Amino acid sequence: MTTVADPADAGAPAADRAERADGRGSRAKAPGGRRRHVGPLLAISPFYVLFAVFGAFPVVFSLYLSFQDWDGIGDMRFVGLKQYGWLLEDSVFWHSVLNTFEIWFLSTVPMLFLALVLAFLLHSQVRFTGAYRVAYFIPNVTSMVAMTVVFGSVFAQTGLANSALRLVGVDGVGWLSSEWGIKSSLSIMIIWRWVGYNALIFLAGLQAIPTEHFEAARVDGANSWQTLFRVVLPQLRPVVLFAAVTSTINGLQIFTESQVLFQSTDVGTTGGPGQEGMTIVLYLWQKAFKDHQFGYGAAMGWLLFAIIAVFTLINWRLVSGSDREDRGGIRSLLRRKGARNGR
Amino acid sequence: MEHRTISRRRLLGASLGGVGGALLGLSGCGADNGSASAGTDHLSLWYWKGSLSDTLLATARRGVPAVPGLRVKGSQIPDGDIDSKVRTSLAARAYVPDLTVVNNDNLATFFPDEDEFLDLRTLGAEAVRDQYLDWKWKACFTPSGRMIGFPLDAGPTALYYRRDLFRRAGLPDDPKEVAAEIDTWEKYLAAGRTLRTKGPGKPYLVSNVGNVFQQVLLQSPKQFVDADNRFIGDQSHIRHAWDLSVEMLRQGISARITDGTPDYNAAMSGGRVASMTTAVWAINGLKDTAPKTSGAWRLTTMPDGPANYGGSYVTLTRYCRDPEAAFAFLKWLLGPANQLKSYQEMALFPTTPAAYADPAMHTPDPFFGGQQPIDVFGPAAQKAPVVYFSPYEETANTPFFQELTNVESLGKKPDRAWRDAVNTAETTLSRLGVS
Repeated sequence: MTTVADPADAGAPAADRAERADGRGSRAKAPGGRRRHVGPLLAISPFYVLFAVFGAFPVVFSLYLSFQDWDGIGDMRFVGLKQYGWLLEDSVFWHSVLNTFEIWFLSTVPMLFLALVLAFLLHSQVRFTGAYRVAYFIPNVTSMVAMTVVFGSVFAQTGLANSALRLVGVDGVGWLSSEWGIKSSLSIMIIWRWVGYNALIFLAGLQAIPTEHFEAARVDGANSWQTLFRVVLPQLRPVVLFAAVTSTINGLQIFTESQVLFQSTDVGTTGGPGQEGMTIVLYLWQKAFKDHQFGYGAAMGWLLFAIIAVFTLINWRLVSGSDREDRGGIRSLLRRKGARNGR
Repeated sequence: MEHRTISRRRLLGASLGGVGGALLGLSGCGADNGSASAGTDHLSLWYWKGSLSDTLLATARRGVPAVPGLRVKGSQIPDGDIDSKVRTSLAARAYVPDLTVVNNDNLATFFPDEDEFLDLRTLGAEAVRDQYLDWKWKACFTPSGRMIGFPLDAGPTALYYRRDLFRRAGLPDDPKEVAAEIDTWEKYLAAGRTLRTKGPGKPYLVSNVGNVFQQVLLQSPKQFVDADNRFIGDQSHIRHAWDLSVEMLRQGISARITDGTPDYNAAMSGGRVASMTTAVWAINGLKDTAPKTSGAWRLTTMPDGPANYGGSYVTLTRYCRDPEAAFAFLKWLLGPANQLKSYQEMALFPTTPAAYADPAMHTPDPFFGGQQPIDVFGPAAQKAPVVYFSPYEETANTPFFQELTNVESLGKKPDRAWRDAVNTAETTLSRLGVS
């Protein structure tokens, strides 16, 4: 931990490396110098070869594909921007965009809040911290397909969720057969999976806050809530933003939960009743791999990329803004967000 | 520190080796003729679990009895992946299996790329034609008249019903009587109303209307797109199936449960659903879902006559290294004698009617109170209609199934749902060149 955080330690090798890189640049001009690069380049080749084959090529190819009409086997037919045009007119696509954002909002906001509370509790907890950390992280490494099957039973008409509701006198909810039931159950699954992961990230951020701040707060008579909102949150802002960015990227790519929950191997059930659980990636999968419209699927992938890029840009603006108003805390963030919406 | 350096070096070496191996593998693409079995002494066959007899495949791996020197090695591919895997290998023109099993719904999706598969008539398929069901044989042909599939199994349909519930509701309960008295979908709906009023625990007739919609469709020789690539999903044969399904919902005789969900399992084992219309391959699923209802179920002819739902084919890809031998293997694997064995071992329903007369198929099933399923499914398989499936069937029918679910679960107005389904199907299909 300390070696990573200590700037003196981390700085030295970096400077050393820079020097060596300079030296190498001048020596490369000498005859036979190029051979010196073969060894190191070969040593790091597993990454760039694998990345070129499985990362870069598919990305470039999918861009090319989005201008073609292709069923996956036969000849491709160039259609220009038609796939994008059709996509913009496709009501199911826009429905899936709306669904994705609704599910993202329903899951991310409570999830980040819960994660913060959990991290705060973990931070003050003295005993069994390790056990709690493991317990919170387990959902994140559990197979989502298997968990979705379990959640399928929980949210069934006669399932655990409705039995619990009936115990407190509430009538059963159509978890898998009504618009907000579907979105809530998907959100709950996402929260269940990611809350522990984000709590651990928050916990790491919490531990970086000097204990003097907590002591000062205690001396000033702040209670737990005040400590959380006045001391911890402002200090945690970069970590919260990191969690928000990764949650956005993950949240906009929701797929497995909905695909397994609604038995997408059957026609007509993909996305559930009213296609309320149809997300962008699920629709992409349906069009490309069930209907064999690979060009359409590729175009959808690139529109999703554009959407995620826009959101990341917004997040990035928020992060870079924090340098200028470093005492503003979350409140200044909200103020700026409000101003942007007002524009 | 010392051993750590070594292990890192070893790790690097291993990953370099792995990459090198992968590159070698990739550069091997297209070096031979593209077959997955190139350079080996056997032919490769892709199938999914349960689609072929394991015993027969084990024999074929050691040596196909009818073909001296031929060995065929089956590779099991998950059934959700096999279609994409076959497509991927065909697109890459590398590692294509010599033979592959194709599901009923998927054979037609290969019609636009029919040249990727061998025309089995050129290998003498016509010589064995009279051994197979006529409609199944015809379904192996592309619109241009090439035979790209070979009949594997069939999916004849029947009416599965709970004899006890039917009897206590005062309905006919003997399979012969049910077949005679509930011989149309309208009478089936009437039986559903009786069950809801007089049956014990007011059971529903069906779990959902999607299955009924599906079966009424399959009773029609026409589906959503015709052989000239025209959309015909807005015509009366579809509307009839739609109206019947909507009527079932209106009368409240559907339990409105998605098949395969925990709610479905609970309803089937708890006697909340009194019947279902589906294919022979659903027997094992039902036995797993509702073991406690064993003995209470019976089988009889489906209202308005039998249909075929599902079943598979085997294809030979154009990369097949030895088409003659591969076809000889097919004649052995899918001949009447071995189809009978596959039925006994895997419950794959034969497409060779000669097998139906064999005493081995006439075994009573205690789950159906000692009834012999073949007595219902055998005649059904022989009477199923010849149906044309276009490559765009699933694209075309998806909106209809979805809108039916919307009516069923969300209470959407049926007329609005019908209009939306037709519009969505038309728009999507027009982009695929279907008018």
